[in-house]
Amino acid sequence: MSKATETAVHPVPAAASPLDAPFPTKRMLVNLGPSHPAMHGTVRAVVELDGEAVHAMKLDIGFLHRGFEKSCENVTWTQVFPYTDRLNYVSSIMNNVGYALAVEKLAGLQVPERAQYLRVITSELHRMCDHLTLISAMGLELGAMTVLIYGMEARDLIWDRLTELCGARLTSNYARVGGVSRDVPPGWNEKVLRILDRTEALRVEIDRLLTRNRIVIDRTRGTGVVSREDAIDYGFTGPCLRASGVSYDVRKASPYLVYDRLDFDVPVGSNGDNFDRYLMRMEEMKQSDRIVRQCFDQMQPGAIAADDSRYVLPPKPEVYGSIEGAMAHFKIIMEGIKVPAGEAYAYVEAANGELGFYAVSDGSGRPYKLGVRAPGWNMLMALPQMMEGKLLADLIPTFDTINMIGGEVEQ
Amino acid sequence: MAEETKPADAAPPKPAPPPGPPPPRNPGLVTFTIDGREAVVKPGTNLIEAAASVGVSIPYYCYQKRLSIAANCRMCLVEMSNAPGGKLMPACQMTAAEGVSVRTDSPKVKEQQRATLEFLLVNHPVDCPICDQSGECKLQDYYMQYNATASRLDVPKVKLQKRVKLGALVVLDQERCILCTRCVRFMSEIRKNPQLGVDNRGSHSVIATAPGLPLDDRYSGNVVDLCPVGALTSTDFRFRGRVWFLSSARSLCTGCARGCNVFLDYMRDGVYRYRPRENDLVNQEWMCDEGRLSYKPFNDARVLAARVGRSNVPRAQAVAEAARLLRAHAGQGTLALLASPVASLEDLLAAALVARDGLKLSEIYVGGRPDGWHDDFLRRADQNPNRAGLALVAKAFGLAVKSASDLADAVASGKVKGVWAVGAELPAPALASALGKAEALVVQATNEGDLAAAATVLLPASPAPESDGTFVNFEGRAQRVELAYWPRGESLPHWGLSAEIGRALGLVSRWASARQLFEDLGRRVADQLPGYAWNSLPSVDRRKGLIPLAAGTVDGRLPGQRERMPLDQSGNVQWTRLPSSREETP
Amino acid sequence: MSQAALQRLKERFPDAVTEAYTGPGGDDVALVKKESIEEVCRFLKSDPETAFDMAPYITAVDYMGSEPRFELVYQMYSTTRNHRLRLRVGVPESDPVVRSVTPLWKGANWYERYCWDLYGIRFEGHPDMRRLYMYEEFVGHPLRKDYSLRGRQPLIPERQVDEPFRGPGPSGS
Repeated sequence: MSKATETAVHPVPAAASPLDAPFPTKRMLVNLGPSHPAMHGTVRAVVELDGEAVHAMKLDIGFLHRGFEKSCENVTWTQVFPYTDRLNYVSSIMNNVGYALAVEKLAGLQVPERAQYLRVITSELHRMCDHLTLISAMGLELGAMTVLIYGMEARDLIWDRLTELCGARLTSNYARVGGVSRDVPPGWNEKVLRILDRTEALRVEIDRLLTRNRIVIDRTRGTGVVSREDAIDYGFTGPCLRASGVSYDVRKASPYLVYDRLDFDVPVGSNGDNFDRYLMRMEEMKQSDRIVRQCFDQMQPGAIAADDSRYVLPPKPEVYGSIEGAMAHFKIIMEGIKVPAGEAYAYVEAANGELGFYAVSDGSGRPYKLGVRAPGWNMLMALPQMMEGKLLADLIPTFDTINMIGGEVEQ
Repeated sequence: MAEETKPADAAPPKPAPPPGPPPPRNPGLVTFTIDGREAVVKPGTNLIEAAASVGVSIPYYCYQKRLSIAANCRMCLVEMSNAPGGKLMPACQMTAAEGVSVRTDSPKVKEQQRATLEFLLVNHPVDCPICDQSGECKLQDYYMQYNATASRLDVPKVKLQKRVKLGALVVLDQERCILCTRCVRFMSEIRKNPQLGVDNRGSHSVIATAPGLPLDDRYSGNVVDLCPVGALTSTDFRFRGRVWFLSSARSLCTGCARGCNVFLDYMRDGVYRYRPRENDLVNQEWMCDEGRLSYKPFNDARVLAARVGRSNVPRAQAVAEAARLLRAHAGQGTLALLASPVASLEDLLAAALVARDGLKLSEIYVGGRPDGWHDDFLRRADQNPNRAGLALVAKAFGLAVKSASDLADAVASGKVKGVWAVGAELPAPALASALGKAEALVVQATNEGDLAAAATVLLPASPAPESDGTFVNFEGRAQRVELAYWPRGESLPHWGLSAEIGRALGLVSRWASARQLFEDLGRRVADQLPGYAWNSLPSVDRRKGLIPLAAGTVDGRLPGQRERMPLDQSGNVQWTRLPSSREETP
Repeated sequence: MSQAALQRLKERFPDAVTEAYTGPGGDDVALVKKESIEEVCRFLKSDPETAFDMAPYITAVDYMGSEPRFELVYQMYSTTRNHRLRLRVGVPESDPVVRSVTPLWKGANWYERYCWDLYGIRFEGHPDMRRLYMYEEFVGHPLRKDYSLRGRQPLIPERQVDEPFRGPGPSGS
């Protein structure tokens, strides 16, 4: 924003009486700084306001840049998993799975079926967590604080189950190259089904509170509109793209893991506004519930990781009891798995859109390059255009529904 | 009996001799195919070397290019088109024949490699967590490449002795031994001293010395390097550190005048061990035990702070005091320079320049370590690495060479009242007290000792690993050492201290690094060192940020925690200088 | 993944496409010359058979030690045809300037800023060529292989702490 616009004063036309004269205004630069409750993550927006309307907006990111890519170049392939957790930290398992798929593509590894089902189940549970976070935050920022509490209850229930499985609520570190890290504890399936019922009840409640709420509809309908062409041009993916009318879901377009065996629908909107994006997420949670239940029906007992000592750690009794296990464990940990040289791009349907990992290997035990295609990046890029000419108050629901997660955008 | 006459018809004509082999495609050489690649090698080259020349690597344990062929590990078996009955032949033993097709990637060979490893591992103890060889163990490397399957063993392993002290430097773990007999062959063929042999037989075979006799050969440490597994370990290095934390610098042993090429393994700023580096012209692949332990003075009893009299002072203050004393005595003509042939060529060039131009000296007294044991293998009697270099420097600067005892006499007679000692090594301990009688004794020392204790001004010097340098061995061969870590404490290499003294005396020195020094002054001795390229090893001019671990190490092993990459003159990493396995001889 | 798109690209630009292959997992890849990237992208977007309408994911790799040093990677996707293509463009260190594809896809904007910020590859014709993650006073391009992992450029002087543990990897200066 140039200095000139800062001090530009609108010309005051002559009026009948001073009381009728229009109020002289000038545009104001307001800094929605990186530390702001409405700025999810640490994003700095400098808005040029013309009264309540946003004349122009400039985004400044990089406050959460932690050097993900460079760190990954310095650790072994298996040590990258905790780094991927911290990308989209509200749905971390999908990051793990995406990265694992990239490495398995390079190595040509086949993941056993049970591990695929487990990956799908945990991914969908985390997708529900992500959508719950978004809806709760949106409700909170629009003034419906009860929604936050309901959403948090549902999210906490899911997190408790995932803690029992992975060991952590948020940073799950669950997927491994060739499978997953551990099998479900006894009784876990039934517990998950129970909380899915409770989550459904909470979701219905949230739906009743928000979907036909006058205030919510007024604030989100027609705001933050992105046309279909713009959405594709900006590279939107996921619920935001589908809200604009493009029916593209990676799970249906190029099915990976076991999605081709599962029966679920993909909601598609038409207006491309905030309300549609919100509706996408509500509906997707329902579909995720459906997917998880089908997986539990279809899942069979079996191995949870590929049986290949070059990539997968041998079971602990073998590591302690046989020299082969000790050597394999040792080499994998100290030198890293030797992924064949080459490059591969693997993509999953994360909660936010197409999450892609571009992995380049040089044959040593460490990634040579690991690039992340963060789905939230494209939406954030489009935000200034979405906000041009709109009211400042529209920024709040828009920022909510594009679901920009600082971790993945700023890596 | 009547003489029989032969039948009238003559014997049938002899059949033509069968056609000989076709002439070789490249006359004088052997041309054959390995894995589809054509290799042209000298006749008599075994297949392992021939394959390596075209980039095919064949695994092996017992083969060593300087030892006789044992072919007992069976790891290098390959498929050859001229093998009788389609048998797999050991690549270490078979030489290439004209037109033969060798395959190392057929399923039969792969299964053989897998099975051989399985057999080798049958009685191998689960020792990786406590074994020193972890990280540089051939069993681990080949297992991941050629086996990577789980164990099928369901009976207990054979138990043997775990800590047999073979000698002062070598400890044997009999369970880890795979009986490649490299150590046995080294002792009997290279050292001609067969102190090691194989006892018992079958799965109870062990390596042993003659009963009651130790492995006391003065080169016994080499069997530790030769052993591909962790059976033979060095008592000096045992359990001191994990090898993947160690970084390697290409250096020279400074124990005697041969200058065996070594890898100096260090972590942070402490040296952990020497490993011999291959150099056919100097030390092949061996070094003596005493040289192996000669890194210890780099760590212990170092002089890290300057002293004037008995109190520690900042180095700048000590340098100023030293310059004052030297200038005073030089003005009166009572100053002498004592140089130690342990210092590098750069150190001596700088000292000679300051001595001649700044202090107007015309003589150089030579100190150094006293002579020690020597043999006809590697060890020289002269325990100083750079005596030849010192002679070259003296000649180049026109300084007359005298001995340290001459200096002691001069001090005793009062002709010399001030001594500047570059390096505190002396050929006889009595000389220290003799020299201590001088009025002004400025000593640049790396370690505490008699001369350092007697010094008026003691300046902390840093030894070989802390600077790039050149050493000229007894054959007149100049060899480079690579900087491992920056000088510890307040010490500087001798050339750095000489430069500071020179500056205090009013000389202008332009050297920020050893390379600049050599470019400046090395011209004077370069004609005596034909074919010597200072840049044959990388040098570090200025501190550039450390390079990510993905880069690799100088000898192809796992990178250490602090890794310095070879940098070119502008500080960029020279990726082409990183060999993947074998080190090229400079 | 699309053999048809790859073939069409090769036919249309026989000079610009130096190599075309299918990598592990079935990814179709074409190596494109730096000078023709804008033309190639315009064709790929507008041609009805390839129809790569979605903004590509653009990233760069630093192959330090080989020539050309950098490689720009474009991951293209078509929403109508549901196929993908990867373009790899070699960018030498001596001339790290490439035509921008932001006029074609608005979504390429930040990706190209990221390549400039972290790799030093400049894009001609980009509407807003400035750093994305790093602050303007930052010197250097951090994802290059010769930039130290722990290179710190604090704008305000840091308090001296003895040996802070900064995570795995070699500790910097």
